[in-house]
Amino acid sequence: MEVKILSARFDIDNAHRIDVARTHGAYRALDKLFAMAPAEVIEEVKASGLRGRGGAGFPTGMKWGFLPKDTGKPVYLAVNSDESEPATFKDRYILVRDPHALIEGIIICCWAIGCHDCYIYIRGEYTSQVKILQAAIDEAYGAGYLGARVAGRDFRLDVTVHRGAGAYVCGEETALLESIEGKKGQPRSKPPFPAVVGLFGCPTIINNVQSIASLPYIIANGAAAYRAYGTEKSCGTHLFGISGHVERPGMYELPLGLPLLEVLENVAGGVWKGRKLKGVIPGGSSTPVLTPAEAATVTLDYESMAAHKTMFGSGGIVVLDETVDMVRLVENLIAFYHHESCGQCTPCREGLGWMLKIVRKLLAGEGTVADIDLLRELCDNIEMKTVCVLSAACTMPVRSYLEKFRDEFEAYALDGGSPQPEQREG
Amino acid sequence: MAETVKLFVNGREVEVEAGKNLIDALRVVGIEIPHFCYHPALGADGNCRMCLVGIEDGRPPLVPACKTPAQPGMKVLLDDQKIRKIQRDIMELELINHPVDCPVCDQAGECRLQDYYMEYDLQDSRMRVPQVTKGKRMDFGCGVVHDQERCVLCARCVRFTRQITKTGELGIVNRSDQARVTIFPGRPLNNRYALNIVDICPVGAMTSRDFRFKQRVWFLQKDEGICHGCSTGCAIYIDHHREKNGDDVIYRYRARTNMQVNGYFICDAGRLSYKRENENRQDLTLVDGVVVDFEQGIAAALEKMNKARRPLLLVSPDATLEQMWAIKRIATFYGATLSGYSDAYRIDDDGDDFLISDDKAANRYSLELLEIDRDRESFQAALAHADLLVNFDNDLFFSPINESLQRLLGEQDRISVCSHQLPVFSGSSVILPCASPSEYGGSIINRHGVLQRFRRAVRRNADPRDILEITHLLGGAISSAERAWPGIRQSVPVLRSVEPEQIPVEGLLLNNSEERDVGP
Ligand SMILES: Cc1cc2nc3c(=O)[nH]c(=O)nc-3n(C[C@H](O)[C@H](O)[C@H](O)COP(=O)(O)O)c2cc1C
Ligand code: SF4
Ligand code: SF4
Ligand code: SF4
Ligand code: FES
Repeated sequence: MEVKILSARFDIDNAHRIDVARTHGAYRALDKLFAMAPAEVIEEVKASGLRGRGGAGFPTGMKWGFLPKDTGKPVYLAVNSDESEPATFKDRYILVRDPHALIEGIIICCWAIGCHDCYIYIRGEYTSQVKILQAAIDEAYGAGYLGARVAGRDFRLDVTVHRGAGAYVCGEETALLESIEGKKGQPRSKPPFPAVVGLFGCPTIINNVQSIASLPYIIANGAAAYRAYGTEKSCGTHLFGISGHVERPGMYELPLGLPLLEVLENVAGGVWKGRKLKGVIPGGSSTPVLTPAEAATVTLDYESMAAHKTMFGSGGIVVLDETVDMVRLVENLIAFYHHESCGQCTPCREGLGWMLKIVRKLLAGEGTVADIDLLRELCDNIEMKTVCVLSAACTMPVRSYLEKFRDEFEAYALDGGSPQPEQREG
Repeated sequence: MAETVKLFVNGREVEVEAGKNLIDALRVVGIEIPHFCYHPALGADGNCRMCLVGIEDGRPPLVPACKTPAQPGMKVLLDDQKIRKIQRDIMELELINHPVDCPVCDQAGECRLQDYYMEYDLQDSRMRVPQVTKGKRMDFGCGVVHDQERCVLCARCVRFTRQITKTGELGIVNRSDQARVTIFPGRPLNNRYALNIVDICPVGAMTSRDFRFKQRVWFLQKDEGICHGCSTGCAIYIDHHREKNGDDVIYRYRARTNMQVNGYFICDAGRLSYKRENENRQDLTLVDGVVVDFEQGIAAALEKMNKARRPLLLVSPDATLEQMWAIKRIATFYGATLSGYSDAYRIDDDGDDFLISDDKAANRYSLELLEIDRDRESFQAALAHADLLVNFDNDLFFSPINESLQRLLGEQDRISVCSHQLPVFSGSSVILPCASPSEYGGSIINRHGVLQRFRRAVRRNADPRDILEITHLLGGAISSAERAWPGIRQSVPVLRSVEPEQIPVEGLLLNNSEERDVGP
């Protein structure tokens, strides 16, 4: 099932070094790139069907097309390498194992959108990753792929790595921009959208690391070659981070559109210890959970996930076996989002803390059924009332657990204890 | 009104000014949208979410009104059940970690949170888990005391120090419900406008050390006034109260919005200058050091003025246009020299490029318009020559620059008409108490030539007389501010067509001229 497009050089020793990367095809798309007009590049990316790999799945070429023309202002590219969502660990592989794919992708994007200054915003905790990335950038400068004349062309491109201070919310694109500008990382109200008013008030494109790293293949081999993988609306391949209760957790590149259970079975070795499946988080902690029945029919693409009332997200799949205490899981989930709330807007700042305390009250055996209803209601009261969707990234999954596993919450409320106490140590 | 647009609110068509956000645009037509973080002087931040309104067929369907410009044909949902519910939900979240003790909060009675609770929420708390606890009584400097527990994190105060004073002393630290407004360690508020923060804080989180817990605000009578602290003449509210069997006491001044004069703010010194109205007042009438009735004082003054051969009248640059006119008239009546010498009211380099002026006189502009002499040389000469000085509340020693004049004083007999006990008046043979600005009404013109009117706000038990009334008792023809106007109009060309009753609240900009430098 696995394919090797993004991960083609992942298993090659020292592929993070430019000489090694080049012998294995890095920077080969550039001759073709500079023979194309920027508008042609955008068309090619549109035709490839590439969708943003940061979680929302917005078509990449279309996003580039939103840049206003001839504003007289510089255009910026901000590469989102914040990767802080629980269960998401794909971009780090690119940074460490093939940083030159990212740099080559950056050159392609910047040529297409007319950008000469790119920022890579990297998660603060990625300390070893940032060293490898920076070393690769330095090499690319040395080899003439970055700097005043990219690959000998009359095209300047500078890339700056900006390290975050360790805030999940800075992965939200406008908080990311604030952070690069040196301010407290909190999301901006939209509109205006960054394509119009972004970094330093200038038109800005924000793309995920994997989105950008997908570009060299598309340019080198053409849109049709990319579309050959995946489904009609979910084209190409994706890096899936599979974790949780499986035999072979890890990062796998797969074409989009495969049946979830088959992937778990054939690629990740199935639920560990021969246990029963209880649920699957399909695309990072912010995506609503799937029951085993739903997991049996869903395929790994944007359309099928939407049809199952969840989201493809970031491709971070978490397998939950029968021992998982969903109430504890929800506590963990809310604790994370509560901790990461930037605290700017009222519903998220106050509401997530309240939700967390209610779940803890349930866990302490002091909760009531009315508390469960209140928790459910708070999800509605908070969601979409806020400046950014961090709050929804918490309430959407919480609502799904409350709906799909309500009996477990009620068991805490009524009995004052876990529904499966004997299995909890699992 | 400027360009207008037509839109719909709950199906009703309204016409509003184009280019404004929904909060401001709809307020003009009487539709209030609840909000905490938006302030017209500070712009929209979008953090409180209290102003969410629905837009029918809109994408997204729910928008913050503060960030949404009024657009033609827009269908705004406001009183709709769905929106009412959202407002209640936001209020609930705003209140869960807020102390529920309005009765002991200094802001009660003028608190948005309290008002909106009554209007939009009115439900019992559903909070059955411990509240987040925060700091109390934090000294932020400049007389600002922060009660962290009451803060709704609207960031108005933070934006004020960043955008208005550009001093940036405040910030919000931490994330989630641990977010707190605070100062940098050891770096308290340090600007001359800091107390405006108390005004703009929509809740009881920013209080004034000077005012807090002195008076319940619903007892206060709030009258409009004008600050006499400098030649800017900021619009203020005079908040005062008469306790049963007590005197009418001013508790505070607050900024009153006047876009032509001061915008939304006032300086701290001006704000605290209310104290002047309460303190150090001259209440007694004295003749040769003996306390007498006011009428006896007037009689004594009359006698001296009638006898004097070379009287000199000194007028204050704080006096109203009408008072100045009345004094000018009795100067003519008595054949007296008239001076408005008041260099002491200037403090060089004290002003800034915002509101505070070097010139601490409220109405120097009128001295110029009435062609009252302000020259030091001629005042000094007149002083040396005079056999009687009648001083109408001019504090010659407001600043130290007149110390050299001290020895010239006392060589002539002196009558002092004064609101305060000031050194310049000691040694006068007749002292007549008079009213201070909050106790009379009239017109003053600020340094930019804006003519503002104000009315009497306070009635003290001692009931000091308006200077204008005193001039009348001393034989002058002008018996009231209104009666001064025909004469003023006749002798001052730029005021020729001014009808005092028709001066707008924001004041009248005289002759639309550029700012003039009013000489002393
Ligand atoms: C709270 C929050 C955190 C996010 N974190 C990330 C992240 O770590 N990496 C990322 O690429 N996108 C993240 N996103 C999505 C970005 O806002 C943005 O949509 C994305 O970077 C766009 O790139 P794409 O179009 O290539 O997907 C986050 C969004 C939210 C609301
Ligand atoms: S939703 Fe949460 S994270 Fe997003 S802006 Fe509001 S408080 Fe900040
Ligand atoms: S102290 Fe007042 S003005 Fe400042 S953030 Fe809190 S509520 Fe807003
Ligand atoms: S700037 Fe002048 S007029 Fe305005 S409040 Fe201060 S002292 Fe009063
Ligand atoms: S006033 Fe609009 S969000 Fe606060």
